[in-house]
Amino acid sequence: MKGPPVAPRFELEDRPMARMEPEPLPVAEEPRGGMGSAALLASGVAVLVLGLAVLGVANFVADQFARSAVLGWVTLGVAATGFGLLGAGVRRELKGLFALTTVDRIRAGLESGEPRRIAAAARAWLEELPDGATLLPTLRTLNDPDAVLALLQARVATELQQRADALGRTAAMQVFAATAAVPSPALDALLVGWRGARLVRQIAELHGLRPGLLGTLALLRRTAMAAAGVAATEAAINAAARAALSNPLLQHLAGDVAGAGVAARRMVVLARAAAAACNPLPPART
Amino acid sequence: MWLSAVRGLVPVRRTLRIGVTGLARSGKTVLLTSLAANLLAAGAGLPALPAVTARLAGRGFRVAPAPGGAADLPRFDTTSQLAALARDPPAWPGRTRAVSMLELDLEIGHAGLLAALPPQRVRLQILDYPGEWLLDLPLLGLGFGAWSAGLLRRLEKRQEATEFLGFMRAIPARPAADDALARSGHRRYRVLLRSLRDEAGLSALQPGRFLMPPPGGEPPWMEFFPFAGEGPLADLLRARYDAYVADVRAQLMAPAFGQVDRLVVLVDLLSALHAGQAAFADATAALGEVAEALRWSGPTLLPDWLAAILGFGITRVAFAASKADHVAERQRGNLAALAAAVTRLPMPRGLATAAFAVAGVRCTEDVVWTLDGHPVSAVRGRVVGAERAGRSWPGEVPDKPPGPEFWAHPFLALPDFEPMRLPLGGKGGVPNVNLDALLAFLLEDVL
Repeated sequence: MKGPPVAPRFELEDRPMARMEPEPLPVAEEPRGGMGSAALLASGVAVLVLGLAVLGVANFVADQFARSAVLGWVTLGVAATGFGLLGAGVRRELKGLFALTTVDRIRAGLESGEPRRIAAAARAWLEELPDGATLLPTLRTLNDPDAVLALLQARVATELQQRADALGRTAAMQVFAATAAVPSPALDALLVGWRGARLVRQIAELHGLRPGLLGTLALLRRTAMAAAGVAATEAAINAAARAALSNPLLQHLAGDVAGAGVAARRMVVLARAAAAACNPLPPART
Repeated sequence: MWLSAVRGLVPVRRTLRIGVTGLARSGKTVLLTSLAANLLAAGAGLPALPAVTARLAGRGFRVAPAPGGAADLPRFDTTSQLAALARDPPAWPGRTRAVSMLELDLEIGHAGLLAALPPQRVRLQILDYPGEWLLDLPLLGLGFGAWSAGLLRRLEKRQEATEFLGFMRAIPARPAADDALARSGHRRYRVLLRSLRDEAGLSALQPGRFLMPPPGGEPPWMEFFPFAGEGPLADLLRARYDAYVADVRAQLMAPAFGQVDRLVVLVDLLSALHAGQAAFADATAALGEVAEALRWSGPTLLPDWLAAILGFGITRVAFAASKADHVAERQRGNLAALAAAVTRLPMPRGLATAAFAVAGVRCTEDVVWTLDGHPVSAVRGRVVGAERAGRSWPGEVPDKPPGPEFWAHPFLALPDFEPMRLPLGGKGGVPNVNLDALLAFLLEDVL
């Protein structure tokens, strides 16, 4: 049974009190993204297109078998080859996309500070790099994590950086020359965009990644994020851009073609940003 | 909801007007200050509004004060209001004496593949105004005769009105349009309104500007009073009343409530519970009248339910009981339910409603206090001027309009607690109660 209500009350405490401090705010837990509406729509369209295509081809193969066994086997072979090639393409795309997560994993390992994880991450990175296998015996002799990182910095990162810069300079010269030759500004934009995407792929391959279309898109996004950090090395980029355009003919052209120098400089920046996005070494060490 | 989501993809800034209806001292100015400070802090990436952050799920969110441009209305002075709350000792805002507009620009990023699109841009507009003026809104639908007759009928039951009613009875039939008589009646009526507010604790007092005059000199059309008779004096008073109503429409209705998309019915129920049965009934009736007046303010000729579905007019209504930090967490559910119950209105289908117990600025912490051998959930805060802590158990908050038995145990007056210290001097937001939930509801289709 409920008792009588407790009468309202107010009471002043005796001790003085400092101004109240708020409780630390809880950090809001962000719900896991899940599939957005656009992803659901795209998935639905893909399932319908692919599923109906498979069903249509299956029906067609069955009809061909009804006509003649030979025709049926030939049609089945054609269908299997076609779908097999499609599957291989999709597999390669996905592999290229997931290869980017390898960079994150190796970077986390190299930044962990734990000797074993650093050594394992270094080994994994060297195995990914085209010429990395030659350094594996040296790596096995090292016990000190700082020595491992120093080796990666001196023998791998520096060389990769130089080669990435060389690719950037080549792209810059090509873009510069092409911008001077192309008559339409709209074509300029197309050319710069295409050359930029190709440069990013080249640098990814230099770092042992083989990004497909999806991988390149993801890499471009990462590169855009890495560009903010790269902007700090403004002087180095200016020097690299000047070096790329030191040819007297190009310097003469630069006076006539407004914007060509800017586009070329962007290629140098892009090369640096793409290298930063593909390089798992902590930024302070590169 | 879906229409709002589609509208969010169009790269054109959308303006959302939130009408806050709150009687005097209900906490509008504090609420606006806290809303602005917390939105700005959340836009800077600080966890000031957890429910809003959770709703955004990692999407970009930027908030900035809207540029002033060549706007007619003065800007709401967030900076100085915040500075007053942040300084030591803090100061609560005084009575609001003029209209001002709080405008914030929000940029909300899209999710998934749509993230490449430009962010959704929303301009949030909320008006601050003297709460007394809110009671002028029902006048927009009332003629002078009907207003006077209803008011005089109500005044006949009040002891405080004896002198004014005596003056009214002394006026001869069909009086001349005498300016001195009009001025005298006006003065007496104003005195009566003040005594009804200060001594009887009533809220439904009209016209609101008689209690809180606008800044600057008063125009001659302010000098009228309720009069049920006929003749030249009645014509003069009617003309002045009409001019007053036209000014209310131009100064308050058009800028603040003309095209309201969202409505917050803010009510200080705890103070009303303390003021007694008559004052409680009067306050809730006044709020109902105001909310009813706003229903016909919609710009559309469509039926209410269709307008709500298409997103025209008011599409979301939040009933918010203010000063919720003066009761413990356990009682806030009841407080929110009471806020919804006392302002019950016939809502069109498709209109989203929700009730909240909020505090713009939090002043207390919850404590368990043993009283008469029973543990109760009380609150504890630093009392203004005393520099000592006070514990308060104001009584049980009912979850519906209370019956006669409730009034046998008077509800405690709300102690004057000091605001908590503001994180980063206000730049880190303002400690509050449930403001994030209120905002997440009001902006649900935008976020």
